[in-house]
Amino acid sequence: MKSMMLGLSRFMSVLGGLVLSFLILLTCTSIAGRLLNGFFHGDFMTAIAPGLSDWMLNLGVGPVTGDFELVEAGVAFAIFAFIPLCQMTAGHASVDIFVSFMPERLVGFLRMVTEVVFGLVLVVIAVQLCSGMLDKIDNRETSFLLAYPVWWAYALSLFGAVAAAIVGVYMGAVRVYEFFTHTTIIPEGTEAGH
Amino acid sequence: MTDLQIGIYSFPALLLLIFFRVPIGLAMFVVAFVGLSLLEGVSFPLLRLKNEVFSTFANYSLSIVPMFLLMGHFATLGGMSTALFRAAESFLGHRRGGVGMAAIGACAGFGAICGSSLATAATMGRVALPELKRYGYAGGFSTATLAAGGTLGILIPPSVVLVIYAILTEQNIAKLFLAAFIPGILAALGYVLAISLYVRLFPDSAGTRPPVPWRERFAALIDVWPVLLVFGLVVGGIYLGWFSPTEGAAVGAAGTGLIALVNGGLNRATLIESFIVTGRSTAMIFFIVLGAAFYNGFLALTKLPDEMVSFVVSQGFAPLTVLVVFLVFYLVFGCVMDSLSMILLTIPVFWPVIQALDFNLLSMEALQAHRAAEALAEGVEIAQPMLQSIQEALAQGVLLTKEQIDALGIRVSERLLDRINMEYTAIWFGILVLIVVEVGLITPPVGMNLFIINSMDRETPMLETYKAVGFFVASDILRVILLVAVPAITLFLLPM
Repeated sequence: MKSMMLGLSRFMSVLGGLVLSFLILLTCTSIAGRLLNGFFHGDFMTAIAPGLSDWMLNLGVGPVTGDFELVEAGVAFAIFAFIPLCQMTAGHASVDIFVSFMPERLVGFLRMVTEVVFGLVLVVIAVQLCSGMLDKIDNRETSFLLAYPVWWAYALSLFGAVAAAIVGVYMGAVRVYEFFTHTTIIPEGTEAGH
Repeated sequence: MTDLQIGIYSFPALLLLIFFRVPIGLAMFVVAFVGLSLLEGVSFPLLRLKNEVFSTFANYSLSIVPMFLLMGHFATLGGMSTALFRAAESFLGHRRGGVGMAAIGACAGFGAICGSSLATAATMGRVALPELKRYGYAGGFSTATLAAGGTLGILIPPSVVLVIYAILTEQNIAKLFLAAFIPGILAALGYVLAISLYVRLFPDSAGTRPPVPWRERFAALIDVWPVLLVFGLVVGGIYLGWFSPTEGAAVGAAGTGLIALVNGGLNRATLIESFIVTGRSTAMIFFIVLGAAFYNGFLALTKLPDEMVSFVVSQGFAPLTVLVVFLVFYLVFGCVMDSLSMILLTIPVFWPVIQALDFNLLSMEALQAHRAAEALAEGVEIAQPMLQSIQEALAQGVLLTKEQIDALGIRVSERLLDRINMEYTAIWFGILVLIVVEVGLITPPVGMNLFIINSMDRETPMLETYKAVGFFVASDILRVILLVAVPAITLFLLPM
């Protein structure tokens, strides 16, 4: 079970990373297109090589239309996809100083309650995102420039949010089991990620 | 309970959860959820979640954050951290405390292509810590130097924290980066001074090494060209308007990735590792962003920020007093909390207060003089007696008359002055907050940079690091005082 969840988390992280890389390359392409477009439209090139300029412009050298819409949709998916591993490796920022003075049993209890609530919150987020997506299907909202249905972007994010919710619930269950059996299944910290 | 009371009680509730080690983003989220339920019933926060989570994550300006994180990781893989340290060491290494100074210099250089303090500290720690040991630098002194150097990752643009601040206060990211530049350089110089003072007070804490021949120095310097190229392209390109900050981050990530690929640092295994490390930090940051957005939406409904503004204004506190109280607050809380959480949590409450106060950073006289000088430099045609009277007024630093302004053909309204003053205040406050929250990374007991570097050096007890870091914290505090006293240091690079 643990290795399956870890596998899922790592898979989602790499998937998020690949999407992020794609967005980076897309943005660079768009910039290059925009700069070249300006170059071929400029006085210099239209004077020196009008044929080449027209040819390049007709080929469609220019910024990628609606690139920022793709970046927004893609980065939302990537963030959701990054959450599972953060969940499994206790990667969220927290203040440790005060619990270091508390008895270990109490710390374990707090950890259990926190992870259960976290799992619950991730489930609520996924459920509400799904309901938001259904609204978008109903009202047929489309994006501004590319005019793709907005619910596509929601669906993509929902995929990540569901994975986050699954891992979140699993981590809650693990911490409950650990608390009542006095065992450690998943140590806190980065070790679990490697 | 009135709405305002619910808002006020949410603070201690939030602090209690955070002290119980509930992740900060989750704590804000839960408190906001309960608060919104108390205000409007439980269906209200559920309704908001339908779109708010997605729209918080699907944000073009914020997508700069994972891109900068990936860029910093690629820069390490491309060997840029090593090249920077070698170059700095070959120039400074033979001085007393020179290897430590070189570590600071290399951190500053790495900070110019990395937007995160923790990444800078971790990267430079791996490169410089063994070298410091080799030349007989004391354990606590070495770790404290690198922990302090790590904060340059954020202080020198590009900077993830500044991006978040810019979005929260609706300011121009490019201008904030520009304003951060000189304070960032001052930070590096301050740390170098702290080192030179430290090695004079404790001569045993640092060894020496022979100087490197000049030919080797220049050879080492040539190796840092990719750093200069990437920094110039990203920050220069953003500033010159070639591309937006997000596009700049994409160019930087692609550029450092390419360099890492050429240098052989990037292969399948390291790429996956980059994705995992970047993803983990991204998820952490965005969960805090989400919690903070949700919490601040709740606070706004309770009208607490408005009440706070009218309270501070009605009490007639001096603006500088309020500013100092806020900065001290950050210093104190920075001892236990991380920088991003603090900024996300407090700026929506503090910024409206600062905005309502008049710091008078730019006077009408100065604005008129600046615009007049511009007009004169452009060669406006003005009759001789009028020109002379204008020059006299400018020399005396008095307000120009309406006739003089008309003759110059410049536009200097009160509205314009207010607008510039507002922007100046936002940028000045942002840089000050940036510095004080970064001090939190190196103040005991909870300084993330201290933890990261200390964990790399098993022989040095934490207490030794705590002792030595005091010098760097002192240099930070002196710098904050200087920047509060002389706002022009931060602002003079900005266009008026």
